[in-house]
Amino acid sequence: MNCVTVVVVQHVHFDGLGRTRDDIIMYEIADVFKAKNLIDVMRKSHEAREKLLRLGIFRQVEVLIDTCQGDDALPNGLDVTFEVTELRRLTGSYNTMVGNNEGSMVLGLKFPNLLGRAEKVTFQFSYGTKETSYGLSFFKPQPGNFERNFSVNLYKVTGQFPWSSLRETDRGISTEFNFPIWKTNHTLKWEGVWRELGCLARTASFSVREESGHSLKSSISHAMVIDSRNSSILPKRGALLKINQELAGYTGGDVSFLKEDFEFQLNKQLLWDSVFSASLWGGMLVPIGDKPSSIADRFYLGGPTSVRGFSMYSIGPQSDGDYLGGEAYWAGGLHLYTPLPFRPGRGGFGDLFRTHFFLNAGNLCNLNYGDGPKAHLQKLAEYIRWSYGAGIVLRLGNIARLELNYCFPMGVQSGDRICDGVQFGAGIRFL
Amino acid sequence: MSLVAEAFMNQLAAAEPWPENAALYQQLKEDQILLSDNAASLAVQAFLQMCNLPVRVVCRANAEYMSPSGKVPFIHVGNQVVSELGPIVQFVKAKGHSLSDGLDEVQKAEMKAYMELVNNMLLTAELYLQWCDDVTVEEITHPRYGSPYPWPLNRILSYQKQWEIRRKMKAIGWAGKSLEQVLEDVDQCCQALSQRLGTQPYFFNKQPTELDALVFGHLFTILTTQLITDELSEKVKNYGNLTAFCRRIEQQYFEGHDKDGSAAASARSAKRSESDPDLNKIWSQIFTPECFCLAACQMPSSCKCVTHLGVQLVELMR
Repeated sequence: MNCVTVVVVQHVHFDGLGRTRDDIIMYEIADVFKAKNLIDVMRKSHEAREKLLRLGIFRQVEVLIDTCQGDDALPNGLDVTFEVTELRRLTGSYNTMVGNNEGSMVLGLKFPNLLGRAEKVTFQFSYGTKETSYGLSFFKPQPGNFERNFSVNLYKVTGQFPWSSLRETDRGISTEFNFPIWKTNHTLKWEGVWRELGCLARTASFSVREESGHSLKSSISHAMVIDSRNSSILPKRGALLKINQELAGYTGGDVSFLKEDFEFQLNKQLLWDSVFSASLWGGMLVPIGDKPSSIADRFYLGGPTSVRGFSMYSIGPQSDGDYLGGEAYWAGGLHLYTPLPFRPGRGGFGDLFRTHFFLNAGNLCNLNYGDGPKAHLQKLAEYIRWSYGAGIVLRLGNIARLELNYCFPMGVQSGDRICDGVQFGAGIRFL
Repeated sequence: MSLVAEAFMNQLAAAEPWPENAALYQQLKEDQILLSDNAASLAVQAFLQMCNLPVRVVCRANAEYMSPSGKVPFIHVGNQVVSELGPIVQFVKAKGHSLSDGLDEVQKAEMKAYMELVNNMLLTAELYLQWCDDVTVEEITHPRYGSPYPWPLNRILSYQKQWEIRRKMKAIGWAGKSLEQVLEDVDQCCQALSQRLGTQPYFFNKQPTELDALVFGHLFTILTTQLITDELSEKVKNYGNLTAFCRRIEQQYFEGHDKDGSAAASARSAKRSESDPDLNKIWSQIFTPECFCLAACQMPSSCKCVTHLGVQLVELMR
């Protein structure tokens, strides 16, 4: 038997299945039976192994290919055996965290493969000296179609926003459906949140004080993502388009608005291992009815992950130094990433670093919705803030990136807070 | 706030004169505000009237959460936000207006003692009645407290507040009291106040002080607010000089001023109960829409009319 001999996969065995149900396994390994020659069998088995691992229910999957034994064995028959180790029913983690003047203990619990069809329940609870927060999540994929899934989340999250002197506590429940359509990924979500806003300091401006109190937001949202990049952090090629819309107020609650926002990114590789990247963000919030928009729904601009050279979220309408956010914004960036000069540590550690030249611009304002679109465009085009500079970017795994830039902010309006000179940023989503 | 910071703030405050656009924030008058909050707000309004400082009343559904201390009312003067009667008196004093300057040390101590009495007895009794008496809670407090919010937030917020107040009652030992005992305490408090007042026009000398404002705020609200039963207002009505005192302060400070926060109008709309049809009939006979319109138009003559009617109501309720 060699690589091109026609073979037939007669049996596929599974060793080590416990609570996992058969039907979801069948879907993932169906392709293996279609393999025609040895190379194909190996490739299809490898793909099946990847598919089984992404279900998140096995710790380990080993594949064994052997000739068929037994009475009904054909001369070119093959047996493929998958040896799997299921994850334990319950995994837990316990951490302590120490932050600014506070400490907390974080308890995490995960129940993978709860009912045998790759359902997952996760629970995280954080108990701290200042705040308590928790999240409970139930996830269920469709058997045979892991990308179509459904999850329900229950959460309480507290946030402190010193740029607005605002404290926000959200207690909410959300249900979401994810499904792919051709090359795009869609998410449909309903969310009900009880929001509590408060002042972070006694010196908060009166405009922020007026927003304190409770509100209930019940909204439906839809998001579409097309991502053809090769990596989400420092991609070398490909494009990303995300469009998100949210309609609040028609399913209950006392907050009513229509919110649209989009994110676009294009990457192209140039000579000598350098990459040119262009990105554009924008959004608009239209309050429905008489009530003005809430500070918790508006957009914010500025900071090391947004328009660099300005302090965190410190662009736009403000009152006594507290930034109130705006109902419409746009932001764009042009970047050139090159390897470090003289390429130190090439092939190893040095590959995680890139030098980075950038040009960022953006504007954030409130629109008068009575005027036409021409007036809106005009308002967004006046008082553009922009900045340019250079720096170093470090990639952290495939999740986050750190930046250290030297920035020159321009187009600064009165009221904006700038951070000219060295600026450090860490995050997952950068302009 | 630390003592040093407070002293510094007072220095800053003292430098500026009282502005024209000072505002007092409280909950929504018609549907939301409760007895205890209305009493507190009225006390502050009376105090500012007595000091001759103009202030306009702004009603916001989230006034309680806007307040830096979590209690209403609070005033927004220039850049500063001050809540509750005690700090407001201090704040106003730093600006050079004071009602108790003419008192000697002994009288000042006495005034503080009586204010503590009102806060510990009357205010706590009002809170008890609102939040610990099951009938009142079901029929009046819960619907009113959560009225600006959608379901289920209205239920969550009122239950949260009720739990908080009941915990406070337990801490001060009032949880075990029955309604009769609470009313007894109210009676004793009124007796003490009545004895101190005697036949004088105000509690100290011939000039009103913050104690008069506080007592007026609570007693007037109790007298003119319709609850499930009128046992509470009966206890106050037993003391003729107290009702006369309320009438006098209302006539002197709340008629002829041009805000719609006239005492009678605000107290009247504070609570309604559907459980007493006879009283409701009397209610509708006295307060015809015409009278309300007149009051809203803020003509001096109409305010007299309203006050006169307020007196009639008090007479009728005997």
